[in-house]
Amino acid sequence: MIEIKNLAKSFAIGKGSKLSESEKKDVRFSKTAFHSVRDVSFHCEQGEVLGLLGPNGAGKTTTLRMLSTALKPDAGSVFINGVDVLKQPLKARQQIGFLSSDTGLYGKLTAEENIAYFGHLHGMKSALLKQRIDELFTLLNMHDFANRRADNMSTGMKQKTAIARAVVHSPKVVILDEPTTGLDIMTTQTVLDFIHSLKALKTPVIFSTHHLDEVATLCDRVVVIDQGVSTFAGSIDEFRACSEQGDLRQSFLSVINQAQLAETQGAA
Amino acid sequence: MWQVYLKELKELLRDKKTLIFVILLPILIFPVIFAVMGLVMSSTTSKAMQVEHRYAIINPAQAPEFAEALYYHKNFTRVDTELTEVDALADAIRQGDFDVALVIPADFQQRQSAVEQSEWQLIYNQSSQLDFMFRYFNELMDKYTEDLQVNNLTQLGVDPDRLHAILNPVDLKRVDTADTRENIGEKIGALIAYILIPLCLMGASYPAIDMGAGEKERGTLETLLICPVSRSAIVLGKFLIVLSTGLATTLITVVSFGVWAAVIGSFTGMDVVANVVSSISVLDLSLIFLMLLPTSAIFASLLLAISIYAKTFKEAQNYMSPLSIVVFVPLVASILPGVELTKTTAMIPLTNVALAIKELIKGTVDYGLLLMIFASTVVLAALFIAFCVHWFQQEKVLFR
Repeated sequence: MIEIKNLAKSFAIGKGSKLSESEKKDVRFSKTAFHSVRDVSFHCEQGEVLGLLGPNGAGKTTTLRMLSTALKPDAGSVFINGVDVLKQPLKARQQIGFLSSDTGLYGKLTAEENIAYFGHLHGMKSALLKQRIDELFTLLNMHDFANRRADNMSTGMKQKTAIARAVVHSPKVVILDEPTTGLDIMTTQTVLDFIHSLKALKTPVIFSTHHLDEVATLCDRVVVIDQGVSTFAGSIDEFRACSEQGDLRQSFLSVINQAQLAETQGAA
Repeated sequence: MWQVYLKELKELLRDKKTLIFVILLPILIFPVIFAVMGLVMSSTTSKAMQVEHRYAIINPAQAPEFAEALYYHKNFTRVDTELTEVDALADAIRQGDFDVALVIPADFQQRQSAVEQSEWQLIYNQSSQLDFMFRYFNELMDKYTEDLQVNNLTQLGVDPDRLHAILNPVDLKRVDTADTRENIGEKIGALIAYILIPLCLMGASYPAIDMGAGEKERGTLETLLICPVSRSAIVLGKFLIVLSTGLATTLITVVSFGVWAAVIGSFTGMDVVANVVSSISVLDLSLIFLMLLPTSAIFASLLLAISIYAKTFKEAQNYMSPLSIVVFVPLVASILPGVELTKTTAMIPLTNVALAIKELIKGTVDYGLLLMIFASTVVLAALFIAFCVHWFQQEKVLFR
């Protein structure tokens, strides 16, 4: 299981940089720093799929980057299956699989080499790695282009390779940052099928998205982040209950509106 | 670390652009430089030697023998003019009426008979680098003055057999202690350093861009960062591959230079060059390579640091172009005439390495200074590498 408590992260602002009008209105800007993530807490149990929702620039990517150890949080704690991510990042990384829509591949390497490179970096032994790659190729139907260079692949092939690369080390948790943004329908389906297969394997998945239909079909839990604060964290049913008709879009809007109302009242 | 290294190596070897920069360019650059220089020099020289100079002569009757010699010289053509004043003649030359004017004073013969010195004026544009006209003129002049000297002295009753001893009482012969290697090394040694060091930089810069900014642009950096490998290991793997390419370029260049110098030496009968090249021992070459090792490490870490900071290929290239200018400044300093390897110049980064390479080629190196330069460059390289590793840990650099 994954547990995140009171996560916060700010980025220093260069002295010379001028803030735009809209940026000045954003409560997260102070004179010296941009407080991208201020207070995010949620948890995700074994086998659950958690959807991370929020407007653009809300702090979703920063949160996921902290979760995946790419960024170090200023405050808060992250535990993955009992491993403190902040204290033992190298150990935590062995348990994490990460993928985003703009994750690239090494164009000069073949699908197999791309995957094998990350397998080796995760310390996998050659024999085991070979077996695992073969398994993934069968699962994702990739044998046809196993030896094709990434430069010469279609978008769908690339995405499959990226998926295989993300899970080559059999991670205990998979983090996906807007995995379907900008992909065509077929490729999107590949990604969604992949999330389904992880769910069947009881591997927890945390993914951020703007597509509520994906949330409806896949997610057990929903977290809404707005202006760097997790304003909602609960089961999909609790989220539905936020609107009268049980419509996800309405629920999302009401959560955001309530949060902003509270923020202005707090400021006043 | 070695995983990163091997993977980057595989990628580089599959990349045509790298192969062109690292292998083809150093192999081809020397024959091209040699050929172009040789061709241009020989063609302009032979052209300059064949040009006919149009001249005007004032008072030719005062020195008829000289006027006649000038008239029959194949590189001079006489042009008649009414002008006699120096300023007017200079104006006419500027307008292109003729190329050169010789003013012999009207009282020349009179002063000759009185054994007094006279002043002749030769008016022409002296800005040309290949001044063959003056060389031809001087040859005629020397012959003419010698004839005059003989004439005058004979008239004064000097024994013609002793004339030579009277005119040149001392014949100074210079005996050179510098051997051919030192001589030629002085001339080409600095030039070789001047080519080798920028090639180190150039060979390393393309892979460096790919390794940092390229990873950002492709979107592979983030996945690399969350692998259970320390960031120091990643950056050191990348550093080593940049260093390797820089050194590979240099090594290929040195070998290519040696081979081509030998080939060209055997062609044109320039045995001197061939001899010098063969007198540079394997030890010297290894020492040159050893000097370039920390230098390349400095370049590699600098380039990698720039590349990691940049968001895109283009941005990285923009930052790198000023770097190459900065590198050239100390190199230019090292080829300035009179700049020698001393305790002071040994403290200037890059200049010291360039001078050390020159001394190694000359075969006159002070091994104490060499050790000092090597040590100081190693220390500098270590600092730069440490900076690069530190730089790669910074979130503000990686996620700009």
